[in-house]
Amino acid sequence: MILARHAEALFWAGRYLERAENTSRCLNYAANSITHLRDEEARVEGGLLVKTLGLEEELRAAGPLESRPQLIAFLLSDSDNPGSVVSSVSAVRENLRSVRDRIPIELWEEANGLYLRFPFLGHANDAPKELHEVLLMVRRACLAVSGVLNEGMRRDEGHALMVVGRMLERSIFTVNLLEASCSDPRGALDASRMLRLTSSTQAYHRQHGNAPDFEGVVRYLLHAADLPRSVRSCLSCAEESLNSLASGASALDRPRQRAALVRSRLEFGDVSDGLASAPLQTLSELALELAALAADVQAGIVPPLALAEIHSQYLRPGPADGAAS
Amino acid sequence: MADVDGNGHSGSPSMLLDGYDASRVYDEVFDANGAVRGAYSRIVERFSELDAAELQRLGELVAGEFRRQGITFTVYSEDEGTERIWPMDLFPRLIAATEWEELARGLSQRVAALNCFLSDLYSGEAAVLADGVVPRWLVVSSRGFERNAMGITVPHGAHCNIAGIDVVRGADGRYQVLEDNLRNPSGISYVIENRAAMAKVCSWLFDDHTVQPTEQYGRMLRSTLESMAPGGSDHARIVVLTPGIFNSAYFEHAFLARSMGVELVEGRDLVVEDHTVYSRTIEGLVKVDVVYRRIDDDFLDPVAFRPDSSLGVPGLLGALRAGTVAVCNALGNGVADDKAVYPYVPDLIRYYLGAEPIIDNVATYTMWDADQRDEALGRLHELVAKPVGESGGYGVLIGPHASEQELQAAREAITAEPREWIVQELVQLSTLPALAEDRLEPRHLDLRPFVLTAERTEVFPGGLTRVAMRRGSLIVNSSQGGGSKDTWVLAPEPP
Repeated sequence: MILARHAEALFWAGRYLERAENTSRCLNYAANSITHLRDEEARVEGGLLVKTLGLEEELRAAGPLESRPQLIAFLLSDSDNPGSVVSSVSAVRENLRSVRDRIPIELWEEANGLYLRFPFLGHANDAPKELHEVLLMVRRACLAVSGVLNEGMRRDEGHALMVVGRMLERSIFTVNLLEASCSDPRGALDASRMLRLTSSTQAYHRQHGNAPDFEGVVRYLLHAADLPRSVRSCLSCAEESLNSLASGASALDRPRQRAALVRSRLEFGDVSDGLASAPLQTLSELALELAALAADVQAGIVPPLALAEIHSQYLRPGPADGAAS
Repeated sequence: MADVDGNGHSGSPSMLLDGYDASRVYDEVFDANGAVRGAYSRIVERFSELDAAELQRLGELVAGEFRRQGITFTVYSEDEGTERIWPMDLFPRLIAATEWEELARGLSQRVAALNCFLSDLYSGEAAVLADGVVPRWLVVSSRGFERNAMGITVPHGAHCNIAGIDVVRGADGRYQVLEDNLRNPSGISYVIENRAAMAKVCSWLFDDHTVQPTEQYGRMLRSTLESMAPGGSDHARIVVLTPGIFNSAYFEHAFLARSMGVELVEGRDLVVEDHTVYSRTIEGLVKVDVVYRRIDDDFLDPVAFRPDSSLGVPGLLGALRAGTVAVCNALGNGVADDKAVYPYVPDLIRYYLGAEPIIDNVATYTMWDADQRDEALGRLHELVAKPVGESGGYGVLIGPHASEQELQAAREAITAEPREWIVQELVQLSTLPALAEDRLEPRHLDLRPFVLTAERTEVFPGGLTRVAMRRGSLIVNSSQGGGSKDTWVLAPEPP
């Protein structure tokens, strides 16, 4: 039986691992594509990327991004931005460090190794060639962590929760991307770009030909059963992992039910109809449901009031002591 | 250059040990005439086949290995980052089988007497005080004396289940105990990781020796803890209680939990209901039988101790009293490793065991005795003064290395609070070669072996060899720039 705190750490390690990879992919795209755009177009496209990554609030706090290097710095190395690559990788490492007694040594070493390569990132902002190499390194390291997770970790609750975290983060990213694309009247993020930003170009071309249409790509990224990055695939995987958790974890019944419901809507239900009639509204609702599912998982692992209840039995109010003994 | 052994090691004469001066103190490798002591002959030969660049390269491999694995410790006062890579020097320390056997007997004896002392104080009639072996005022004034521990029954009568006893060798080559650590002795994880790193990077060094293994510690520790479970050892649920990832020994806490296959918990993961300790899992509360705590007494239970701390478990003391859980090490062991009580340990061995100590103490002056104090203060420039409340080498004044101003300040501090100080004869710690830039130079060292006690007592072979990496320094603590060495206990020679 996994400790609630360990469960939470592994769930978030999974989310941040996926986030690091998503942000790296977006950065890679930004570094290659936006270079050729005029300033105004670059700003629009950069804004859409930020929206896709769910970092609009963080961007508001950071101030307007006037140039491409600023956008890259914000997404790559801004430690105040919890979605930057640096912050995400640090969070993966810190979460795994707090559970390093129960994860495979190789998993910890890969995550630690990725984190330790960060001193080199500080010099990458102004050097596109180096930036590309750094991003490639980050993505390969993320894949190595994923590989150890898949091949080296016992299929226990910790593994299941890390997978749930990854799959939820991935599906949220994909839905955000589709929503950002649909909300942009200028069509800056067209069908080809959506495929590139989800590493799905090759898979789509083999299945549907190499002239992607916008609506077809939206449906593909939502519904494809055989695409690991489609929302349906992610939800199926998350649902399976949630169901693999011991039945004694009744607090996870709610997210199990919600995951099944959302996946069913995608597979059999009204999402498809909604896309035809009101795509933006349908995607917005889907994004909200995914956010609610993530919140349900979090609450199922660590009931929000549990700690306060426990300590209020014994402790009078006072500052918590963070000092080590 | 010839490849003498097929492992890529140059056969050209090495300069590494040129000018090595072993004449000043007891050197573990060379006698006063410069001859190599028997156990080290092949090691010296092997190192003679290396040059400084190769040794540095191997050292970097080890450091890289430790860095990759996150084998670190934390120094709180550092500005730049808190984690430091664990430092290890490649020249190993060897202990012959017969020598180890004697040392292990002495350590078992000492821990047995200290456990008797703790039982007498907390569960017995304090006869040791009534009989005047240790002054009553000294015990009750000890910060480590814990009244809350009175009357708590401990499994097998063993209060100290895991002890780290710091031993040194003086000029005559005899082992002496420098300090007892009976609360949360740390360092065992580094012993095991040092060996693993040596086996990876310098496997050829092991070819000529049969060395006792170290990887069994997790099994030994788990077996010790299981035997402490109130309901019996079958299916005992054990947890390691850590203050968290910012603690200096967090790596070790995680290492121990992993090597035993048990959960590493923080105080917030545990809850006490009806005087029973539970861990909070995603399936609800699960009973805990044994807590291997790596948190000091003061932080263990905010209800009984510091109410402003959230590191511990509210209600744990009540569960301990109810006998539903065992805690390792027991509460209140600090009184027995109080440096002010240390001078009495040889008497405790005689009192409880009716035997002479196998390992002596370092000669120590008690500052609350006016005659001893006067003598010590008069010779303070030759002696070592230690504050009894500090650890990690902090606050230690080494007379020969101190300025007159520092000596005077120490004299005043000792005179003002004699209970807070002990003064010891300066032990010129033995030396062992360690890499200093481009050559091997003698460096002082100590040894912390670990003793496990529950149903029976076991001494883990070897221990943590700490080495002062600065020339002439006697401070071996890693927090103050010390390093470490792999410690080899050699297997007995076949008859």
